[in-house]
Amino acid sequence: MNNHSNNNNYLLAGAFALLLGSSAGALAQADQDMAEVFQDHCASCHGSDLGGYLAPPINATTLKGRSPTALRSILMTGSFDTLMPPFYGKLTDDEIRGVIKYLQTTPKQPNPAWTLEDTRKSIKVLVKDESTLPAKPTYTIDDMTNIIGVAARGKYGRGAGSKAVFINSKTHQKIGEVATGTAAHIIEFNPANPRWAYVKTDTAEIFKVDLYSMQVVRSVKTGFNGPGIGISRDGKYIMAGSFVPHNATILDANTLEPLKSFELEGIDPDGKMVSSDSGMIIGTPYADIFAIALENAGQVWVVDLKEGFPVTKIEKVGRHLHDAFLTHGGKKLMIASYDDSIVAAIDLEKREIIKKLEAGCVPHVGGGSAVVVDGRTLGFGTNFGDCDKTVVSVWDLDKMEVVKQVPVAGGTESPAAHANAPYVAVDIISKDRRARTVQLIDKKTLEVVKTLDVGGHAYFPEYSADGKFLYISAGYNGDEVVVYDSNSLQKVAAIPMESPAGIFSRGRVKYMTRGLSPDEIGSLK
Amino acid sequence: MRLAIVILGAILALPVQAASPYVGQNKATASCAQCHGLRAPAEGSIFPKLSGRDPEYLKKALRHYRDKTRHSEIMNAMAGSLSDEDINDIVSFYSNVKP
Repeated sequence: MNNHSNNNNYLLAGAFALLLGSSAGALAQADQDMAEVFQDHCASCHGSDLGGYLAPPINATTLKGRSPTALRSILMTGSFDTLMPPFYGKLTDDEIRGVIKYLQTTPKQPNPAWTLEDTRKSIKVLVKDESTLPAKPTYTIDDMTNIIGVAARGKYGRGAGSKAVFINSKTHQKIGEVATGTAAHIIEFNPANPRWAYVKTDTAEIFKVDLYSMQVVRSVKTGFNGPGIGISRDGKYIMAGSFVPHNATILDANTLEPLKSFELEGIDPDGKMVSSDSGMIIGTPYADIFAIALENAGQVWVVDLKEGFPVTKIEKVGRHLHDAFLTHGGKKLMIASYDDSIVAAIDLEKREIIKKLEAGCVPHVGGGSAVVVDGRTLGFGTNFGDCDKTVVSVWDLDKMEVVKQVPVAGGTESPAAHANAPYVAVDIISKDRRARTVQLIDKKTLEVVKTLDVGGHAYFPEYSADGKFLYISAGYNGDEVVVYDSNSLQKVAAIPMESPAGIFSRGRVKYMTRGLSPDEIGSLK
Repeated sequence: MRLAIVILGAILALPVQAASPYVGQNKATASCAQCHGLRAPAEGSIFPKLSGRDPEYLKKALRHYRDKTRHSEIMNAMAGSLSDEDINDIVSFYSNVKP
């Protein structure tokens, strides 16, 4: 979009309206223009419906009584300890003032429609004949499992800085990148064919990436906002879920054609019928199913990948569900519930709740971790810790009981582990100097033994597939991914990129959950 | 006695004179990097790159913004609260970063 022409429209519309003596028309046009500014610059984080997403809701209710002058300075300079970028120079002063006025007078919008047909029409085919693609990687790599993908958000959550960056985790060299237009959020690797990866953005676009030639071959848009994406064990299906609107869609992983869409609604644990955001979506090596969390409805749905895609609903799992990880060959799912600070263990085979385990304070398990120590399988769960209790919960996943709550320096977002690495890494996200750090918990003693000063806002640690290196995003203000030796914890490399966030090793398709045996899934076959 | 005064003077003066790129990095992260980045500003933004720039120029520019002898609504606000020591630290950091 061209800001200036937009702004001119605004002024022009105003001038005409004055001439005609009709201010209602001008207001409508101004609102229309500011709605466009909001959708083009703010919606990928604050939600297309003004209802919040990664960033807080900004609408007439939440901004009531806020000083427009104070809001203007936040828009101009950004907010240092969050992802909010400075819009000075990006938007004109009239646009900044105009969008604030628009937001302070506009209520949260109703859940918009996004149909299967909208999804189908959004498919872009960039490589028509996939048989023309190279038969093997066009770069040197021992094993595709060594690929690490980084979701680079870009400072503005969109634009030239937004991309998925792929790195050879043996050499720490960048091997390719694909532009995603808006902030990349999740990268999934096809478990059945090493050449395909799927990148999902915050604006619910999915890019099918050919890792051999490092290019996008197709893309599709499944909604307005939402990071949820999972892939089936046979690599044939993708399921994508949205915050805006409240839906989820099953797609053909090859063509990205939508096959079925689900309206996410249900009765929450308090007996109220609610429309719901999509939380995590996960495929499992144990069966041809997807599990999806309905955040607000507190339900987990199990979708069978057969004729009609039937759904089994598991109700009353928790209040405000979010992310999850698998254990026991993918038969059990550990899912975090923000509002009652528990992690619920779900039996995907029997399709019922096994137990609810204590999980610190506002649990966010990220990709989760599980390690086998002295014959016990221990699960690790991080939590945002928006209260005094900042711990990492350790559960015995066989007995489904809490083993220990390890005190850490602050709130945490994602634990990383590897069968061959001695430490479980957790990212401290408390909004002060601690945000620069990552703490390491010794697998055996279950105590914090070291704090790494990574810089920036360090988060989303991930081990390389062989466990020899620990990759960490220095996040916003850090603008690099930092690599450490897993044993000596010496810094060995830094790879610059704009606002890196999630890091995804292709090793995940082999070990299912980070920390388990590097051939966990192979052993199931 | 005289020697003691000289030494004491040197010790007292030390923290003021020795600009630290390490301290500067923290201060730059808090005050400047949001727009100018630690190494480079965001792609497609209008903010000038500070890394690798001439230290004398950077110091002068920051002092002028602080003292409002150079006008920019946003820079006057951002630099307004910086001390000479802050400026020296920040400049010591940026001028030593490879662009």
